Amino acid sequence: MSALQTIVDAVALGSLFALVAMGIGLIFGVMRLVNFAQGELLTAGAYALLLTNDLPLAVSIVVMFATVIAFALATEVAVRPLRTASPAAMLVTTFAFSFLLQAVFLLVWGSQGDNVGILPELNQAVEIGGLRVRWVTLASIGVGALLLTGLALLLNRTTIGLEMRAAAHDFRTARLLGVRANRVIRFAFLLAGVLAAAATLMLVVQRPLVTPTFGFQLVIPALVGVVVGGLDRLTSATLGGFAIGFATAILGDVLPSGSRVFLPSVVFALVIVVLLVRPSGLFTRARTVVERV
Amino acid sequence: MNRLRGASELAGPVFLLALVAVLGSFASRSIQVEFRSALVSATIVIALYVFVGNSGVVSFGHVSFVAVGAFAAGLVSVPEALKLSASPELYPFIAGAEVGNAASLVIAAAVGGVYAFLVGVPLMRLSGLAAGIATFAVLEITHNVLRNWPKIGPGAKTLPLVPETSSLLQLGVGAIAVATIAFAYQRSRPGRLLRAAREDSAAAQGSGVNIHRQRLLAFTLSGALAGFGGGLLVHLLGSITTEQVYLDLTFITLAMLIIGGVSSLWGAVVGALLISGLNSLLAEAEKGIGAVDLPTGARLVTLGTLMALVLLFRPSGITGGRELTFGRVRAHVPRRFRPERAT
Amino acid sequence: MSNPTVPLLEVEDLEVRYGRVPAVRGLSFTVGRGEVVALVGPNGAGKSTTLHAIMGVVSPAQGEVRLDGRLLTGLAPEAIARAGVALVPEGRHVFPHFTVEENLRLGLVARRSKDGADADLERVYRLFPVCKDFRRRPAGALSGGQQQQLAIARGLVADPDVLLLDEPSLGLAPSVVDAVFETLTDIREQGVTVVVVEQRAQVAIAFADRTYVIANGELRLTLGPEDADRTELLIRAYFGS
Repeated sequence: MSALQTIVDAVALGSLFALVAMGIGLIFGVMRLVNFAQGELLTAGAYALLLTNDLPLAVSIVVMFATVIAFALATEVAVRPLRTASPAAMLVTTFAFSFLLQAVFLLVWGSQGDNVGILPELNQAVEIGGLRVRWVTLASIGVGALLLTGLALLLNRTTIGLEMRAAAHDFRTARLLGVRANRVIRFAFLLAGVLAAAATLMLVVQRPLVTPTFGFQLVIPALVGVVVGGLDRLTSATLGGFAIGFATAILGDVLPSGSRVFLPSVVFALVIVVLLVRPSGLFTRARTVVERV
Repeated sequence: MNRLRGASELAGPVFLLALVAVLGSFASRSIQVEFRSALVSATIVIALYVFVGNSGVVSFGHVSFVAVGAFAAGLVSVPEALKLSASPELYPFIAGAEVGNAASLVIAAAVGGVYAFLVGVPLMRLSGLAAGIATFAVLEITHNVLRNWPKIGPGAKTLPLVPETSSLLQLGVGAIAVATIAFAYQRSRPGRLLRAAREDSAAAQGSGVNIHRQRLLAFTLSGALAGFGGGLLVHLLGSITTEQVYLDLTFITLAMLIIGGVSSLWGAVVGALLISGLNSLLAEAEKGIGAVDLPTGARLVTLGTLMALVLLFRPSGITGGRELTFGRVRAHVPRRFRPERAT
Repeated sequence: MSNPTVPLLEVEDLEVRYGRVPAVRGLSFTVGRGEVVALVGPNGAGKSTTLHAIMGVVSPAQGEVRLDGRLLTGLAPEAIARAGVALVPEGRHVFPHFTVEENLRLGLVARRSKDGADADLERVYRLFPVCKDFRRRPAGALSGGQQQQLAIARGLVADPDVLLLDEPSLGLAPSVVDAVFETLTDIREQGVTVVVVEQRAQVAIAFADRTYVIANGELRLTLGPEDADRTELLIRAYFGS
């Protein structure tokens, strides 16, 4: 396999993780909440697609979006008591949510899993200059880049984005300035829901088997990526997610075949190294690291 | 008088553990397993508490030490021929080792402690979120290596035929010993220094407390106790697989500690025994007892819901993070989950 | 249409409790349009609590706050901000990672009408040259006194009917405090109604149209600028029973 093809595949995996990381990064950037349960939004969306598999595609997708957004808004309600908690406490609590939701999915649907046959055309590959790229990868990168740019613009250039960032930084003072902080946070979760729904679509095309751990498998590397990349800003969080995916794919190829089973260990060991060397994140501007947690 | 009141803080946990052991002896064979399981859980949760409760740092990786302890104790308790037939590539020093029950437990504790020390030297510099992720990474690495390195263990296969020496007596004594050690630590100077640093790290450092060293000490001790718990576990189950010491156990021990009360020994014991009991009850209900017949999976849903509710509305746990004292209640001001945000 | 005979801000029979401890009791005062009113008193007297109650940050156990006849009590802080009350909080609370300009844009959020926003922005840039100079720098790079000016500017661009200032001189060097009060004079000339809570009683009394002395949660004394030197009177009001 040529080096370029490896890179192309790595970019594919990276963009998948980046989409999930974006959702996590957005919620953190706006609400200071580390959402371990982000993956369950994806799982809910996937099950929604499964349930509506027999309906026309457009209807199915609309239902999926609606389901994921509903779950996202429900998450917003559920985490309100956590507003003043430390990030570590949020991590543990959302970990509990994640576990709970997985248990519910397991209870309702069992562990077997079912296939969602959706948009199989996207799984076809196209040849560009001797490299094989699947349409869905191009779509993921395209959608991801679009969403990231759109979100970054929203957060940094618009008033509502300013209000969102203010509410995240200092909820109390933001309200004093007239920011309808609760509304703004709800909007952020809505956006996160849209992100998760887009990610579900991209994901389900590539991995059509829906099980209770559908989203969870992505959340671990994505969350790790977010922290490694830099939790504080949306772009660094997204890049972190991308980096984990990219590194995993590259390492998977570079490691001698006998050692390939140890890929997770290598990746996680790298994660530890990065956390030790740059605890505020790989892609953040090097600030004096005040121990904020 | 102070000594006496202090000792009473240990009395509560010890009494409860002893009670479980004694009650278990009256139970039928099949029910007794639940009591023994509760005692093992308590041991592991106390070990977790020694670090998390005193330092205020969340660790998702402690089950790694339970895992290495369990595998270590298991491997040295099984005859060479059996080991080599299942895992022909085992290192000779592991294959050849065969020791008695007590020795296996000591080895489990030692392995757990050493591993914790090695991991702790770099990791104890981290706090909060970074520590959570880093310790989670340790869990993943441990699981991955144990599962895929045929030279140190059975890998993905079960390690079978480990002598089931974890009687109620062994478990009761083991749990009480661990509780006593935990108590001794938290009352000792290093323990109190660490707690001080938990409350206000800047002030503690200003007073000359070397936070890294204190955390490392607690982490190592906690790792040794967790390893010991792993040893007790493998002798209870009679076998061990990597999946039994991975995410599910991580979740449930964290849940036990949090629901009981992160900041106190009493909380750790209460949480472990209570949730263990609930877990057993729900597991039986899933199989059907009397008129109650829960659908499979309801157990996990219930536990997950309980943990979520406690974390949302009473993060200091059932015991409020307080020790049980006779006389005036001494609060261990468990602000760790609710620090004031710096403006 | 505002009613010229109704005072702009009315506080009536205000009682605020923290748990069972009353921080403010039976407090009543009014502020007329264009007036500058000061609240002075010893530590813990309830002055800041009063401002918080006006702003809806704390809920009073009893009493009412009215702005131009409209009831404010019971509304959320953001609603009160949008009704025309701006609070410059104690400790300033600027957003340090945002630029000065972004901080000011945040102030615009509470405006009742977006018309005139640019004009008001220009006005505060003129009033507070440091804001203009540091426009694109992060607000955290400003000194304490400069941040105070930013916080006041932020309150002003909301075009409020009433500007509340909580301890503007806290943590600032005396020379800086003088500068801050000078800007307040400029603001007064623009017709902005101001209620200022201030530790430094003499400065406040000399500056304000009317000063209310609050101690132990109650209104003890009402003073005019001519009473600025009457220290025995102040001491008695502060510490008397």
